[in-house]
Amino acid sequence: MLALLIWLAIGLPVLGGLIVAVIGDGREKAQHAVAVGFSAAAAVAALALLPQASGAEAVSVSFGPMFGDLTFVPDGLAVFLAAVATVVGSLAVIFSVDYMAGEAQLGRYYSFVLYFIGAMAALALTGNLFFLFLFWEITALCSYALISFYNDDPKAVAGGIKALIITQLGGVGLLALALMAYAQTGSFEISTFLAAAPGIPTAVLGLMAYGALIAAAAKSAQFPFHTWLPDAMEAPTPVSALIHAATMVNAGIYLLARLYPAFADVPGWRTAVALVGLISALIAALMAIVATDLKRLLAYSTVSQLGYMVYAVGVGGVFASQFHLLSHAVFKALLFLAAGSIIHALGTRDMREMGGVGRRMPFVRNVFIIGAIALIGLPPLNGFWSKELILEEGLLHGPAWAYAIMLVGVALTALYTLRGVSMVFFSQDGGRQAHDAGRAMKISLAILAAGTFATWLFAGSFSRMLAATLPAHGLHELTVGHLAAEVLGAPATYLALGAALVGMAVWQWRGRLPWAARSPGWLAAASESGFGLETINRLTGAATQKAGAILQRTQTGQLNWNIAGMAFGLIAVLIILAWSV
Amino acid sequence: MSVNAAVLMIFLPLVMAPAIYLFGRAVEKNRPEGLTTAVNSAALLVMAVLWIPYVLTVRQFAATGPIVLVYGDVALIVDGLSLLLAAAALALGTLVILYSKAHMSGKLGDEKYYSSVVAMTGMIIGLGCANDLFNLWVWFEGMAVSSYLLVVFYRDRPTALEAGVKYLVQSAVGSVTVLIGIALVFAHTGEIGFGALAAANMTTPVLLGAGALFTIGFGVKIALVPMHTWLPDAHAQAPSGISALLSGVVIEAGLIALLRVLGALSGDVMPSWGALLMAFAAVNMLLGNLMALRQTQVKRLLAYSSLSHMGYMLLGIGVAVYIGQANGAQGGLFHLLTHGMMKGLAFLAAGAFIYATSGASHDTSQDHGLTLGDLNGAARRYPFEALALSIAVLGLAGLPPLAGFMSKWQIFVAGFEAHNTVIGLLVVFAALNSVLSLAYYAPIVNAVYRRQPSTAVMEGVRLPISMRIPMAVLTLAVIAVGVWPRLVYWLIVPAGGALSAMFGS
Repeated sequence: MLALLIWLAIGLPVLGGLIVAVIGDGREKAQHAVAVGFSAAAAVAALALLPQASGAEAVSVSFGPMFGDLTFVPDGLAVFLAAVATVVGSLAVIFSVDYMAGEAQLGRYYSFVLYFIGAMAALALTGNLFFLFLFWEITALCSYALISFYNDDPKAVAGGIKALIITQLGGVGLLALALMAYAQTGSFEISTFLAAAPGIPTAVLGLMAYGALIAAAAKSAQFPFHTWLPDAMEAPTPVSALIHAATMVNAGIYLLARLYPAFADVPGWRTAVALVGLISALIAALMAIVATDLKRLLAYSTVSQLGYMVYAVGVGGVFASQFHLLSHAVFKALLFLAAGSIIHALGTRDMREMGGVGRRMPFVRNVFIIGAIALIGLPPLNGFWSKELILEEGLLHGPAWAYAIMLVGVALTALYTLRGVSMVFFSQDGGRQAHDAGRAMKISLAILAAGTFATWLFAGSFSRMLAATLPAHGLHELTVGHLAAEVLGAPATYLALGAALVGMAVWQWRGRLPWAARSPGWLAAASESGFGLETINRLTGAATQKAGAILQRTQTGQLNWNIAGMAFGLIAVLIILAWSV
Repeated sequence: MSVNAAVLMIFLPLVMAPAIYLFGRAVEKNRPEGLTTAVNSAALLVMAVLWIPYVLTVRQFAATGPIVLVYGDVALIVDGLSLLLAAAALALGTLVILYSKAHMSGKLGDEKYYSSVVAMTGMIIGLGCANDLFNLWVWFEGMAVSSYLLVVFYRDRPTALEAGVKYLVQSAVGSVTVLIGIALVFAHTGEIGFGALAAANMTTPVLLGAGALFTIGFGVKIALVPMHTWLPDAHAQAPSGISALLSGVVIEAGLIALLRVLGALSGDVMPSWGALLMAFAAVNMLLGNLMALRQTQVKRLLAYSSLSHMGYMLLGIGVAVYIGQANGAQGGLFHLLTHGMMKGLAFLAAGAFIYATSGASHDTSQDHGLTLGDLNGAARRYPFEALALSIAVLGLAGLPPLAGFMSKWQIFVAGFEAHNTVIGLLVVFAALNSVLSLAYYAPIVNAVYRRQPSTAVMEGVRLPISMRIPMAVLTLAVIAVGVWPRLVYWLIVPAGGALSAMFGS
């Protein structure tokens, strides 16, 4: 039964993707129907897995000695992420029925969205490092294809290729990790690796640990690999919601959480992880403060919130990171889809042109505000509970200065969120025509908005599931009652709430504060250059092209030089042989 | 009966090639307007027939192991390596012959084209079976000579002739270098059989020098840097089916020839040869990728990419030779197979677009170089060909679930099994090169799926089914092997075993 559900959760989206492609772009309604049907069915299958989570291997298909066995292990972490991917996936597909109505090449769009959902579920469920890498790469392929969906727009194409290359570069870290695990243990199975980790030489384990960190940072758009996510906003908005907010970018956090028991004792690793999360949270929040594009604002916010999750793993709060992952997936998808409704209605992404759209789109305004409250972390929404849990873990187990910075991050989050809400809904009316969201859009938005009120109530069953199925992680059950008592009782909570209020106050009364009246000039410049990383990207690209240009001179086109090349080759080979034998 | 199957597999193509030519001349004399169809059908029939002895030989090999054939001083052996090369040559040869039908106009001598393709296929099969130095050289030369005519097939085009002359001269210099090497070995040891040489196990400076000469001589054909300079021109100027064959089997045949020779000579200095192959691998990968990045013409881009893929093959095989294990050999040979499929598909798809944009005259010899800009929006009018090209290049970039990912992975695994830091770094270098290659493969995919078609695409003509079937076969193969690599284990495992046995592990 478990095996069947797993194959359905993974296979239905893939099958749906193939059918949508075969149906062809002439029959749009059929394509919408197939996409919604198959993604919803996969979500049902994945949700059905939740109560049956178990740490035992449910599926195993042998691929030969050099690939290991394709195994699926439906433990708590796996089924959780698979459920998030398929449920948010189906909501994004439902949203797309309105958003992408009448678009050209719809088959290509739906196919890649569906393949992505299948690959993401498989990534979460697999227990084999090689196949984890395989599905990791497939999600990167789908992400690239969807970011550059509008191939005629050079910005979209550039964004897609940039995302592909940066995440693939990070992927080399995961590749090295998998290969080293195989070299050390003779197997690709994660369970084997976790069991054997204490016996692996520290130097090798260290390389693996930092390889995992690099791969996770690239995939989750953390510092120093954060530059691809804002440019990925050229994708159609349901894609941004699904892939670049709720699902694919979580794969890095998932990897760190999954391998945490093996790497926790590697010297400096946890500090490095916490540092990466911290820096990302801070600089992304700073960049969000000066953003003018609504989707870029949300992208920076995603980087920042992912930073909180990474920081949580670094200080040892694996459950806290996954709990916030759940909250964030729901409220960020909500924010993106609501933003999508606005962008679809107004035809612009520039917040300065939006103005008083709140009056004309009341439903969207309301759900957006709900998402914003969750993002700022105000009770009783899910963002409050999960963010507070992370901050508490940080205060208890991490350095105090790190906690202080994360607290500043909370204030900044509140600041940029309130700024965003007021620019979009409550400032000078831009005068653009707008209609409220269509029916399919409203369905997705309503479900997600309800989720922000409800998902934190699953803390008890979620933590119980993780504790039971992941023995290596040493997790404990945390009932909702305990969660409430802990959070409401801790002084840290009120510090954080205070910080949020300070952030909102600074925005609200920025006229009265001379230093906050206008955003500092250096911030805009820093944001433009991604805090230096865009410059590095550009220089790397230029250097590579230059290297190619220099090499081009060796292709002289003249036969004499070509033959001379053979002579040089012979001399080189003779020298190498003389020296090495 | 069983020995005869192997003999037929090796010698039948050589007999049928002149027969096709004569048949073609006869048809031309009597009914010239039917030349294209008649000679194409004859060639297809011949290729179909050639599969029969191949299958019988495979079955016999599976039952009784390597088949040894000796005729006086000529020694031939049919082992896993021979069967792999023969499979690649026959498969690509058959598909290219079917594909070429549309490109032939009947004016440039179709019968010469097809008989050369069949002859080249036969020579490659024979090369794979050679078991002594001189007879290896003869097959190698035969392959080279039959390929010269094919590269310059569009002989009314000055650029084609230029490419052909460069290829001819460089190849000839390479062949002479090999011959000098053979002479050195024979003079020094009195043997030319690989078995005898391996048994003699001598490692003197003279033999090392001979090995260096072989590396350079065969290296021209393998397109090792710095002997690679003929490759971009030849691939760009040859008819697209021939480019597919060149990248798909000819350069690989050169690699097999070199490996056979080094296997016989290496003796105790095997690790040095392994290190040398890995050094070439690194240089090929980097130069191939950096140069491909600068190309705007699709066929030149694919040619440079063949350089880098040769680097991956050399990496796998170099690791196997260096440490003496079979996994690297298997990985490298798996990549040989998948590269043949993917690069072959890429060239056939590029050729399809060249045909499409050649206008009503279908005169592909006047091709001015298909550029990335010409491919814009191709998917709107040619969705299947655009899909085929996308799958080919994404497979070459090593993205799952396509074949290239699986073969590259096997090479990487073998590298880490060596437990050697330098080799591990080389594997990471190879992985980074794979990422770099995305920078020139991905724009191709983006171009074909644009909505706004280029002028070339808008004015394009319909493509005949004879071009689509080979592309469909290869597309399915790339996806199937990518999803389920065990499909080709029957071919690559014995080949990997044969290769590592040659290097004495």
